[in-house]
Amino acid sequence: MIGGVLAGLFAMAAGVLGWMLRKERAQRAEIASRIPELEDQLGKMQQSQAQVIHTTKLASLGQMIAGVAHEMNTPIGFVKSNVEVVRELMGEYRELLAKVDKGFAMLLAADLAKPGAAEAVRKGIDKLRTALASDERLRDSDELLKDSVDGLVQIANLVKNLKGFARVDQDGMDLMDVNESVESALVIAAHQLRDRIEVKRELNPVPKIRGVASQINQVLLNLITNAAQAMGEGGTLSVASRRSGDQIEIDIADTGPGIPDDVLPKIFDPFFTTKPVGEGTGLGLSIVHKIVQSHGGAIKVRTAAGKGTTFTVSFPIDHALLKQPG
Amino acid sequence: MSESRIRVLCIDDEARILRALKALFRDMEVYTTTDPAEAIRWAAEKDIDVVVCDQRMPKMQGIEVLREIRIAHPRAMRVLLTGYADLNAVIGSVNEGEVFRYINKPWDNTELREVVQLAAKIAREAPPLQDKAIDEIDKEQARKEVGILVIEDDPEVQKRLREILAPHYQVRFVSSPDRALAVLEQNEVGVVISETAGQHGDFTALLKALKQYHPHIATVIVTDRANAQVAIDLINEGQVFRLLLKPLRMGSCRLSVDAAVGRYWQLKQNPLAARRYIVAPKAESQMPAWLSGNLLQRIRMLPQRLLGLARAG
Repeated sequence: MIGGVLAGLFAMAAGVLGWMLRKERAQRAEIASRIPELEDQLGKMQQSQAQVIHTTKLASLGQMIAGVAHEMNTPIGFVKSNVEVVRELMGEYRELLAKVDKGFAMLLAADLAKPGAAEAVRKGIDKLRTALASDERLRDSDELLKDSVDGLVQIANLVKNLKGFARVDQDGMDLMDVNESVESALVIAAHQLRDRIEVKRELNPVPKIRGVASQINQVLLNLITNAAQAMGEGGTLSVASRRSGDQIEIDIADTGPGIPDDVLPKIFDPFFTTKPVGEGTGLGLSIVHKIVQSHGGAIKVRTAAGKGTTFTVSFPIDHALLKQPG
Repeated sequence: MSESRIRVLCIDDEARILRALKALFRDMEVYTTTDPAEAIRWAAEKDIDVVVCDQRMPKMQGIEVLREIRIAHPRAMRVLLTGYADLNAVIGSVNEGEVFRYINKPWDNTELREVVQLAAKIAREAPPLQDKAIDEIDKEQARKEVGILVIEDDPEVQKRLREILAPHYQVRFVSSPDRALAVLEQNEVGVVISETAGQHGDFTALLKALKQYHPHIATVIVTDRANAQVAIDLINEGQVFRLLLKPLRMGSCRLSVDAAVGRYWQLKQNPLAARRYIVAPKAESQMPAWLSGNLLQRIRMLPQRLLGLARAG
């Protein structure tokens, strides 16, 4: 009796088990059949994320180029004007030379046998030499050309910064000095800071980190741009760098209104923005976060209403450098 | 022009720009400073003819400096010289600085010298207008006599302008250049309010041509197609009097139109002062095809008696 019941139960259990196995097999087959579709979706998502990152990189490149182009207008303005003016001054100086030449010809033709002639010729030569040497057009040209060389150096530096900033030629991990990145980000952002915002630097010598320079630059530019935008009416931007244990830290601080409590938890979310539609992508800080993470770093934010916001980015110092003595 | 050399005042926070300008204007009496306060003091003290001022400076924006100089020494003509073309600066240079020309860095030496020489000639020959509102009696009379023409094809904006202006002025609305000319031919129009463009195309060419032949008519641009370059061209080629962005605010719109009517009214009493608002003449061949020919001829032939002016020159 009991054996029969047991046998019945066993048969039932076996039946259930078999049904379950069959069901699982069917589910597996169904899942397996969906894998290509899911992979396809994943691929598309990765692709569109890459596109978004690429688009924002292009947008920040565009912003950089516009900024640097504007910065160049001033030096190009006076260099171009100076060179044209110096050319005119040289033309006038050439006229003076022609007159002096005529003077010498007359003096050469003088009859030195006449009494007092030698003295007159000597005086004449002195006068012509003074006229040539003391002409103010020479001095002015010199000053204008000196300014022009300065201006060209300034333009060359801007171009160098722009080139170094984008690093279109190298996208790999390299040993890099973050202070240099901070300085070039400040140059690139200069047109946003120029007349409204005072910049305070407290950049200490720090060990190098291993990173993709163009990405680190983008992090700093984004943070500096955000800080500048937070201070619409002007303020102070403080940038600082220091070593802290086996990390380096960079502070980007503004004296803006601070980030409201309800906004703070969302600032690193993709597509979150407080700007009007069409003005911000809402990707700036999410990309900053992504880049910092991919470098093994961290980002912290401290904010106080009415006082300002400080972003602190930290990166690990390169291992090889840590092992070195000192 | 009187015998003395042109007196030009240059303000920039970049000393190298100032040295460059000093060399460029070497046949003139040049004063240069990086300090806006000093510039404002000097303008009247040195009886300056032309002010050339940078826009972006740390202590004070160029348009503020020019506004102060306009009040302290209205005789001087004002030129803004800037490496940045941001819309707010352009709008400010119109509404506050009332600049004669807006010139971009890097500048063209010949062009900048010509602008300064022309501005100096005008500063010495054309009397400045008083920088104050016309009195109540004049205002009353101006309202009776002076018509306002609005070129705008958006019915919403027309409605808004009608609300703001119709209680105070004779306002006529048109939506095409052809209709605008018809109004100008039959009425005394002192102020033209216009969009930069409409369904019938670009209105700015019409406004510039109108200014070229009739510099005493004040133009007020009301636009939502804000673009810095279009606005700069409207200064240099159209001497636009005010530039307002949509949506229109009743207060600033009323103030601007009142000021424009006042400007026209003052120029009617002092026709010589209109030279202060002249634009560089544009050849007919540079104008759009729809404007050159018939329409341009009608602009040229607008009856001066309706404008209350003797034909100049």
